[in-house]
Amino acid sequence: MSEEAKLSHTLVVSDLSAKQRMWGPRSTKNRESFFHDAAGPYASPSSLRTTSKTDTRSPSRQSNSGQRKPTTWLSFPLEFSFSTTMVGPTASLSNLSRADGSASFKCPTTGYKILGSVNAPVELPGRRDALKPEEATVEVFIKPGNTTAGVGERYAEGIIRTMLQKLILGRERGFPRRGVVITLAIVGGGAIARGDSYLTLLPSLLHTSLLALLSGAVPMSMTYSAALMAVSKSNVIVSNPTLVEAKAASSLHVLAFSSKGHLLLNESQGRFDFDTWKTVQQRAHALCRGVELPEVDGDIAMEAQGDSGTAEGFVRETVEDHLCRDYAWKINTE
Amino acid sequence: MSKEAPLSIAEREFILEALRQDSRLDGRTPDQFRPLKISFGDEYGHVNLELGNTSIIVRISAEVTKPRDERPFDGLFNINLELSAMGSPAWENGRPNDVESYVTHVLDSVIRHSNALDTESLCILKGVSCWSIRADVHVVAYDGNLTDAACIAVMTGLQHFRRPDAVVRDGQVVVYGVEERVPVALNITHKPLSVTFFAFNESKNIIVDATLKEEQASEGELVIGINNGGEMCFMNKFSGATINAREIVTRTSVALEKVKDLNAQIDRAMQADLALRAKRGMAEESRAENDR
Amino acid sequence: MASPLVLLPGDEVPSRHLPSNKSNPLKLGPGLRLLSQPSSTSQNAQSQHVLTATQAGIVTTDAKRNTVSLLSFPNRRYIPTVNDLIIAQIHHSSVDYFHCMVTPHTAHALLGQLSFEGASKKTRPMLRQGDLVYARVLSIGLGAGAEVELTCVNPATGKSEPGGLGPLNGGMVFDVSTGMAARLLRASSSSSEQNESIDGLVVLSELGKKLESLGGFEIAVGRNGKVWIDCSNAGESAVKATIAIGRCLQTVDEKGLGPADQKKFVTRILREMKLVS
Repeated sequence: MSEEAKLSHTLVVSDLSAKQRMWGPRSTKNRESFFHDAAGPYASPSSLRTTSKTDTRSPSRQSNSGQRKPTTWLSFPLEFSFSTTMVGPTASLSNLSRADGSASFKCPTTGYKILGSVNAPVELPGRRDALKPEEATVEVFIKPGNTTAGVGERYAEGIIRTMLQKLILGRERGFPRRGVVITLAIVGGGAIARGDSYLTLLPSLLHTSLLALLSGAVPMSMTYSAALMAVSKSNVIVSNPTLVEAKAASSLHVLAFSSKGHLLLNESQGRFDFDTWKTVQQRAHALCRGVELPEVDGDIAMEAQGDSGTAEGFVRETVEDHLCRDYAWKINTE
Repeated sequence: MSKEAPLSIAEREFILEALRQDSRLDGRTPDQFRPLKISFGDEYGHVNLELGNTSIIVRISAEVTKPRDERPFDGLFNINLELSAMGSPAWENGRPNDVESYVTHVLDSVIRHSNALDTESLCILKGVSCWSIRADVHVVAYDGNLTDAACIAVMTGLQHFRRPDAVVRDGQVVVYGVEERVPVALNITHKPLSVTFFAFNESKNIIVDATLKEEQASEGELVIGINNGGEMCFMNKFSGATINAREIVTRTSVALEKVKDLNAQIDRAMQADLALRAKRGMAEESRAENDR
Repeated sequence: MASPLVLLPGDEVPSRHLPSNKSNPLKLGPGLRLLSQPSSTSQNAQSQHVLTATQAGIVTTDAKRNTVSLLSFPNRRYIPTVNDLIIAQIHHSSVDYFHCMVTPHTAHALLGQLSFEGASKKTRPMLRQGDLVYARVLSIGLGAGAEVELTCVNPATGKSEPGGLGPLNGGMVFDVSTGMAARLLRASSSSSEQNESIDGLVVLSELGKKLESLGGFEIAVGRNGKVWIDCSNAGESAVKATIAIGRCLQTVDEKGLGPADQKKFVTRILREMKLVS
């Protein structure tokens, strides 16, 4: 299996430029550095790095899914072409008529599409005891696309609610003793089967919630961005893994960073040591915020990334685009 | 929060007065539907439907299960509707309300009980395994006429959906992956849809496809479930003012005309989507599979 | 405003964007807050103040009034602010107050039974459930869960100022976005005989011109996203004219039509409704 993987891998690499070959994954360490500067799905599709990144990633994907038949290699060129045309996430804002704020978000690697709505501030009847008198109560509800909600949804709801409660300024005018009701519906992508990790869905849910809250003008102290990271069995860190990669991974991590750099959320699953987590954190931080971090191993030179390539930059661009369209009457006349 | 905000007196009286003059707030005639927009997601059976400002997403899914003991030859088919605060702030998350049970009842009666989906064709091996088809209806924005919109969306989804092929070989059920065998369309026996009429001004004015405000101002309603062949599979008058029998007969023919028109629109959207899928070709198809 | 400055929650307002008028205190609009940061870099004991955004929006400043505010998403929910004009719906009444709905699914606001022009125990208006009033937000209360109080009269003069406050009889209410309501308010409050567009809106002046022959129309705009229209002068075509105005406003809002398109749309709708030839 691994023999085959290597073989076809070198075949592909030989097609690429010398520079690319130099970057080929000879060692795990090198490969890591490689993923590091490629920004995953946020990278521009035309960049050479993205291309080569997926080349190097394919073998690892292959070795991860050991049960796959060797004939799958026939589909390699397809994977290749897919990877080169890989696009970043897509999102739209204020697309629902009844909700106060709404957003849809599509993650290209996992295929999930989430529709989110925010109603705030609203009255929450029959829950007077549960309401805090001084601030707003945040409610999160996740609605799976084609199954009935279960423990997975409740678990994710808890994580999101806890995180958002810290960011929403529930004491602002009009909000105390009212509810901020966030509803997230999974409208695209596969269902999460029993036993599968819910972490793969979490970053998409978090980004949808944020965009919906922004479009509903709910006061917040800061924004955030999140990333899904996987560590494969061969200890390779994969940023924004696909569902296949996530399933085969030895550990999965979801990290969220505030726009001021705090680590807001750290959900991990599987076996890993602290050093691995530290590296994962660095990678996730770069992916979310594109900020240079201290070097990890000493031999990795970080590349500063453009704002547009990061998850945070994506949120900002989406909001800017929408606001400029909404206020075109003002911008164009003045 | 469990109820929509009530109409003001001014709104109610204006809507009634306008209808007396055969005018509606959005300029439609009494027998006119709002513009219907149907689009499809990446997966088969994923329908995005917009009827004016009412917006619904339907997802159809299939899995292999054991048939019920008393019906070993039948597959399972369920329509699942759960209203969330996304559709209207009046709906509470996780708490069933009247609208939900009402719409579910109509959908069940019009689509499920009329056997629009032939459940016998879902049987794989008698008493051992069958397909369970599930339609999930997500109401993402509610501006009236939920029942008709949901009916259209579910029927479109059922016609668009393709389930994996399954055969019985040596007493074993083999389910083929979508990449191995072309997935199979469901067996639709007929295409019933519901048309809901709302009555105003002592039933002198009767309209179709009411908006939320019109629904709130109405005095009574009449639901007719009918297919292209004019076969009525459901009729109900749940509440409200009386509508005389002659009126009901004429409304039935209006409903038939509407259903034919709506089904034609569904067909057009389906054909356009299937053509698009064919054009994208096999390469794209398998790409989507890898993606998933 | 060639390239608008868009802020997200937590972003600081760059000081070069603040109005430089030093004579008046700077006023902050919604979506902004003042944070004091203990400065770590400078040796000053004085803490630094920074203006940060709490919502996503475009920064706008008014040098004359020395204000800085954030233009947030126009479809957001209305939150009562003192002095805003709103259209409220009576929900029920108690001994001293009418309990009014300002936005659906939020707590009721209070409107004093005597908060009307010339109202006394005997002459106060008898409002029923579902009646509409054009009112002003008097206070939003302090502290958590405080009640919003409305008034239809200026407490200082005892008059309904600005004119038109009080019960709205007849007519029809249309829902628009809160952003659109704010624009309409500015457009309808500024001197009406202008031909120029205010806030990119010509729809009102255009409708006014075209419907003048029918007797014109009365309009009241509430910041809570409601527009009340009455065309009772138009006689037989009152209903059609009202519908036409409502459709024009809602379409301009939903589709974000520019001034030229607004004019075209008004002409089209009026022709469709057979109000003008």
